[in-house]
Amino acid sequence: MMSSKKIQVLPLNRVEGDLEIHLEIDNRMVSEARSVGTMYRGFENLLKGRAPLDGLVITPRICGICSTAQLKAAVKALDMIVRVRVPDNAVRVRNVTLMAEQLQNDLRHAFLLFMPDFTSPAYRRHSLFEEAVKRYRPLKGETAVRTIRETKKILEIIAILGGQWPHSSFMVPGGVVSVPGQNDINQCRSLLSNFRRWYEHRVLGCTLERWTDVRTLEDLDLWIDENREHRESELGFFIRFSREAQLHLLGEGHHNFISFGAYEMPLNTGVKGPAGGECFSPPGFSANRNMNPFDQEKITEDVAFSHFKDHGGPRHPFEGSTDIEAPGLDGEAYSWGKAPRYDGYPAETGPLAELVMAPNPLFEGFLSKEGPNVFLRQLARMIRPTLVLPVMDCWLKEIVAGNENFYRKNNQQDNGRGFGLIQAHRGALGHWVEIENGKIAGYQIITPTAWNASPRDGKGIRGPWEEALVGTLIKNPEHPVEIEHIIRSFDPCLVCCVHTIDRHGKWPTVKIF
Amino acid sequence: MSKTLYWIQGGGCGGDTWSFLNAESPDLIELFDMLSIEVLWHPALSASDPQARERLDRRILQDEAPLDILCVEGSIIQGPLGTGLADTMMGRPKKDLIGSLASKAAYVIAVGTCASFGGFGADQETEATGMHFHKDDFGGFLGKEYKSKSGLPVINLPGCPCHSDVLAGTLSALANDMPLELNETHSPLDWYRIMVHQGCTRNEYHEYRVEEKQFGEKGCLFFYMGCQGPLVTGPCNKILWNRRSSKTRVGVPCFGCTRADFPQKYPFFKTRNIEGIPIELPAGVSRAHYMAYKGMAAAAAPKRLIRRKSGI
Repeated sequence: MMSSKKIQVLPLNRVEGDLEIHLEIDNRMVSEARSVGTMYRGFENLLKGRAPLDGLVITPRICGICSTAQLKAAVKALDMIVRVRVPDNAVRVRNVTLMAEQLQNDLRHAFLLFMPDFTSPAYRRHSLFEEAVKRYRPLKGETAVRTIRETKKILEIIAILGGQWPHSSFMVPGGVVSVPGQNDINQCRSLLSNFRRWYEHRVLGCTLERWTDVRTLEDLDLWIDENREHRESELGFFIRFSREAQLHLLGEGHHNFISFGAYEMPLNTGVKGPAGGECFSPPGFSANRNMNPFDQEKITEDVAFSHFKDHGGPRHPFEGSTDIEAPGLDGEAYSWGKAPRYDGYPAETGPLAELVMAPNPLFEGFLSKEGPNVFLRQLARMIRPTLVLPVMDCWLKEIVAGNENFYRKNNQQDNGRGFGLIQAHRGALGHWVEIENGKIAGYQIITPTAWNASPRDGKGIRGPWEEALVGTLIKNPEHPVEIEHIIRSFDPCLVCCVHTIDRHGKWPTVKIF
Repeated sequence: MSKTLYWIQGGGCGGDTWSFLNAESPDLIELFDMLSIEVLWHPALSASDPQARERLDRRILQDEAPLDILCVEGSIIQGPLGTGLADTMMGRPKKDLIGSLASKAAYVIAVGTCASFGGFGADQETEATGMHFHKDDFGGFLGKEYKSKSGLPVINLPGCPCHSDVLAGTLSALANDMPLELNETHSPLDWYRIMVHQGCTRNEYHEYRVEEKQFGEKGCLFFYMGCQGPLVTGPCNKILWNRRSSKTRVGVPCFGCTRADFPQKYPFFKTRNIEGIPIELPAGVSRAHYMAYKGMAAAAAPKRLIRRKSGI
């Protein structure tokens, strides 16, 4: 009998960077998956030997869509090293700017990066296909164009408070350098108010208040049936499209989640997080719905399948190194990504992980009924602004204008260690910094995508999206949209196109370069 | 006649793409409509049809489809050890595709400092380089002999990121086949002869040598805080960022991100100086005259400025 087993290499675009997925496919079913980071930029080694504050200029340049998140992680590590308590006003400015970047990220991801897959020829027979093309065709669709116009406006908040977006360095140990005036704050609130109007009117189809009543799966059904605005909104359309396409059956994965906790609270604030505590959204690790208190000591990175030298098994980032080995000379290694683990376990991170840590009845209901999946990850990302928008306005109102206290003096330390862990837009982001004799002696960064796109570890355990891919049935091998949905539901930050090689490893297409 | 545009990313962060989305009047969509630019491919913005992309590459390389404008974002990664394997596509070095496309394009634009000069990784194991320069050495990845099909060298639009107006303006000129006057490192004079310092709201502090010595103090950032505004070219304080402000206006020093040697080897946030006077002085001034001027300026500083009364 002929074996139908084949190997397919899927380079993906709309993933912010470089990614290839190597799949083994048996009768159209994914039997094995490897996540291959195809680019190495060497930021960690570039920081060694530099002045401690240089991380504030260099690390935002790791990522063009979340540079403020990198800045925040970098500055938190330095705050810890100089042991300074950041004044409330500065905490608010740091949080509000990070939230503005997050709103941009979540909606650009949804409408510019994820939804264009609904216009794939794979959906030609879907009843909402034409409507999807009308909405999400890149650079042409009504929603795509509107998203480009609205998301850049919210970023003006970062320019007002931090000078520019992307790539500013306005957060420094002890606070922020800017001293916004009352009018600056009012301008930020106007921008936020306009953004909220668009989000409520077009994306949600209802007010934030109405949405807070959606607490169960039944509530969501009632909400959808309630009126035309709900059904025709971007969220309503997403739900209807996803149901017909059965996106809830795709991309289950490990059932492990990690969050580093989002938005530390100012000491005096009217904002209350859903779970209380020091962060608006708490840190935590959850394996199969068992919550564990979070301890950063339990984080390790493993390079067994990465193009880096293995210095004896998994290591905590403070003990970690980034020494490259030439691909092809390093045995089974297949990725420029490392394999982060928590207490030995792989874990997915992102907006859904945040909602796992801060109990949310709607998402608890979905998780117990269907487990993690493409639909749920994307739903979490699309409704995250409902949590963020009111808090942002509250913190903007609380900023005391004219108060000089946006920065607290501190003494540079010539030696010390610190870490900055934050919940960035794509999930858990950590910087581990070591200063020796006034210079950076070690800098290790674990990005959210490093968690999600992790290759196997030394025990052979797959990374989160590798695991989520295995078992997937590809209905149309010409357009493997299922694979694209699964990967993009993690909002990957990695860029490319599709190529197929047959089992003899030959290129089926003409060599073009 | 419409023009075709192909955008490719090498060793970069995507920041130039996201910065381009900041464009306003015209915004990105209006700009492409106005100029009749057809986007053949953009790694973050195209709908994925990989087979179509593959056919497209083949047609361009076989001269069956015209490529008018090639935008390159990110450095060209040549490492480790010259293999290019630190940035691959389907197992092959991406630099090879970039080189092939550049040989077919009428115009090539290096968008951002990494594509222009190498930027991050230029002295590292990734052996990053710019399209037509390696730092300020002419040649870079394509070599001195290279000319795009229009006869122009690669047009460099440095900045980390490149400002959306600079790219939009350059595309407008090229799409209309208007001449672009370039400086010695091949950047359009329209945006790369003005100093970053020009237009900064903190200029009065600079005039009277009222200097900031610690964050948040307000004052000129040039003498102590590492600001390179008076040293480097760029339109940040003329056209502003996100239509609102600039780093130097809010108190973040200019890091010289348009320079060919960005990121510099010496610390950011600290001015290198000799006896309190910066080593690097504003372009073209004599040291003796500058010291005399700064001494008198400080003596003449008005009290309202020293007390930071203006709210800036």
